[in-house]
Amino acid sequence: MYNSNRMKFWRAFNLVLLIVGSLFMIAPLFWMISIALKSMEEIYRGEFTFIPQDIQFSNFVEIFEIAPFFTYFINTSVITVLVVLANVFVNAFIAYGFAKINFKGREVLFIFVLSTMMLPGFITLIPQYVIFAELGLVNTYYPLVLPSFFGSAFNIFLLRQFFKGVPSSMIEAARMEGANHFQIFFKIALPMIKPALFTVAIFSFNGVWNDFLGPLLYLNDESLYTLQLGLQVFKEQSSTQWNYLMAGSLLVLMPVIILFFFFQKYFIQGSNILGQTDEK
Amino acid sequence: MKKYLFLILAAVLVLSACGGFQIGDSEGSNASEEDSASGETEGSDAEGSNGEKVTLDFWSFWGSEQRRPVIDKIIEDFNSSQDEIEVQHTYVPWGDIWTKNLAAIAAGDPPDVIINDINTVKLRAQEGQMEPITEFVDSDVENRFYDQMTEATMYEDEMYALPFNTDTQILFYNKDLFEEAGLDPEDPPSTWAELEEYAAQLDVEEGGSYERIGFYPLIGAGSDVWMMNALGENYISPEGDVKIDTEPVHDTFNWILEQKNKYGENTITSINSQFENAQQDPFMAGNIGMMVQNANYYVQLRDFGQDINFGVAPLPEKEEGNGHTSWGGGFVAEIPKGAKDPEASYKFIEFLTNHDSQLYWAENNFDLVAHQEAGNSAAESEEFSEAGREVYSLMVENMDNTLLTPQPLVAPDFASTVNPTFESIISESTTVEAGLEKAQSDLERIVENNR
Repeated sequence: MYNSNRMKFWRAFNLVLLIVGSLFMIAPLFWMISIALKSMEEIYRGEFTFIPQDIQFSNFVEIFEIAPFFTYFINTSVITVLVVLANVFVNAFIAYGFAKINFKGREVLFIFVLSTMMLPGFITLIPQYVIFAELGLVNTYYPLVLPSFFGSAFNIFLLRQFFKGVPSSMIEAARMEGANHFQIFFKIALPMIKPALFTVAIFSFNGVWNDFLGPLLYLNDESLYTLQLGLQVFKEQSSTQWNYLMAGSLLVLMPVIILFFFFQKYFIQGSNILGQTDEK
Repeated sequence: MKKYLFLILAAVLVLSACGGFQIGDSEGSNASEEDSASGETEGSDAEGSNGEKVTLDFWSFWGSEQRRPVIDKIIEDFNSSQDEIEVQHTYVPWGDIWTKNLAAIAAGDPPDVIINDINTVKLRAQEGQMEPITEFVDSDVENRFYDQMTEATMYEDEMYALPFNTDTQILFYNKDLFEEAGLDPEDPPSTWAELEEYAAQLDVEEGGSYERIGFYPLIGAGSDVWMMNALGENYISPEGDVKIDTEPVHDTFNWILEQKNKYGENTITSINSQFENAQQDPFMAGNIGMMVQNANYYVQLRDFGQDINFGVAPLPEKEEGNGHTSWGGGFVAEIPKGAKDPEASYKFIEFLTNHDSQLYWAENNFDLVAHQEAGNSAAESEEFSEAGREVYSLMVENMDNTLLTPQPLVAPDFASTVNPTFESIISESTTVEAGLEKAQSDLERIVENNR
């Protein structure tokens, strides 16, 4: 098939299309790198150059002197690890119940869970803050981490669809052998929906890593700040230190990119399956 | 299965060793709750000679390399000036600081002092988001500030905040380009007509497109600044009188459109886009000869302008005798509703706005400070270069012509109501006549509904 000239042409055409497309997509990133390496003088001079005339690697060092980005990095990592773990396991656990265990009122309950998706986050923001304040948990990481231990509708919905794809005959077989639901969940069902778990993990990683509003509201102590809050020091009412901001943003972006490369396979699998319809 | 559980458990244990999971150990909300609680139980002797130190939470958005050390030094001075109050500074990102403040007030757990926008003080006072400070303010303090700033902090005869800093719009012009064009670099334009005339000489046109433009009113400033400049007052009064469909405003928009059609949409868009993304600066790049800007812009010229030879002047007036009216904003130090010890908070904001703190702030940040005397001292400060003193003096003088625009309580969102209409006039999708008539009636309707 690949021998035919027509095929070759289309492959080449696709390749060119993809390259041009990716160049478009990646251009802002290059621009970011370019600004991160410029001096403010050069930025203000306003010549449109991708390659800085005078490359300032020192920007990447100086940002650490302005704000304790290393601490912020640790803080953000702590929150992220917990939330991602919680999101993956708690939601999977709940989803398994909805997909594979028959109990009275299951469908109604599921609709209730789904209906929480209709509430925009902003509406619950202040009440949630007030609750955490009453509990004396403002200025700790609990408000940022705890909610993820109680499941999120979207992830539950997503994982439930995957669990539905796990053949019931397999589960029945395991039960015949004397396995209980916990064992079935961990040993059979979970491994079968790995791509979906990675999808949830990556989505929630992105969400938490880039979360700005949560940390902004709940953290008062600068030593507890996260990277997204830290980046804001370079922005002020009248001026922005673009070179520092971009250098900092690049560092913050790095883990996201690295993670994507590592889990690319799963991520793409997951996105593909996302597009499929519910299985019988 | 056990493996996973252990992993999670271990992770939780390790991570909970981090500060973020310890409740009440840090100086944030919980510590302050304890403070106030112990204050209540100890009652009478808490305020006394060996009463406990009050710890105040102070939120500002001054986190940059330039501002942070300055405010921290002022706080340090305050803390060592007495031994009853200890102020702790928390940097909260610009803009979002007020969102956070609102949430904290709603939860009854606000900071003790916060830096906030001066034009919305009355609004917050009306909404009950701040503690009045009238009982603490004496006339010495009240008279420190520029009148229009003090006025902006008043609501129903109560004072709600102390002004901290302000700014004003002035004209910056490139002296080298003036000379190149045969203009006298020491004689900046002082009327709109002169602006036009000078601009024509500064323009560099090649093959139908402009390499450099002399001046365009809407680069650096908004149409509202020019409307105020023409009217001598804001286009909506504090009581809600709307003056949009008036001759001076008609003239303003016709004048702006005239300039726009001279240069053409493309030229303006290209220069404006450089300016709006703020990653390039057409004035520093020499693409524009004169520009109206916040006077603070001097700091950017000083630090990043690579010895650009510039001059400054008051905003040109519409015609001789009309007045060089300019516009400014600014910030105040205020006490959010529910702060634990307003009197202690007040002592700190009084210190923030005293002569020495304000002079120190002025000398190190080049902001126009709210304290008039401190501003006058800064204008002669040895800390500044000659150019710096020149700009600062002009800033101080310009306060005589500078309007603040506190949001009228009858139409707090006035700007977002009429700005789209102003924009469609500028983009010529509406005529000046129709647009201004619409803006006038839109705003009047809102005022009517809110009264």
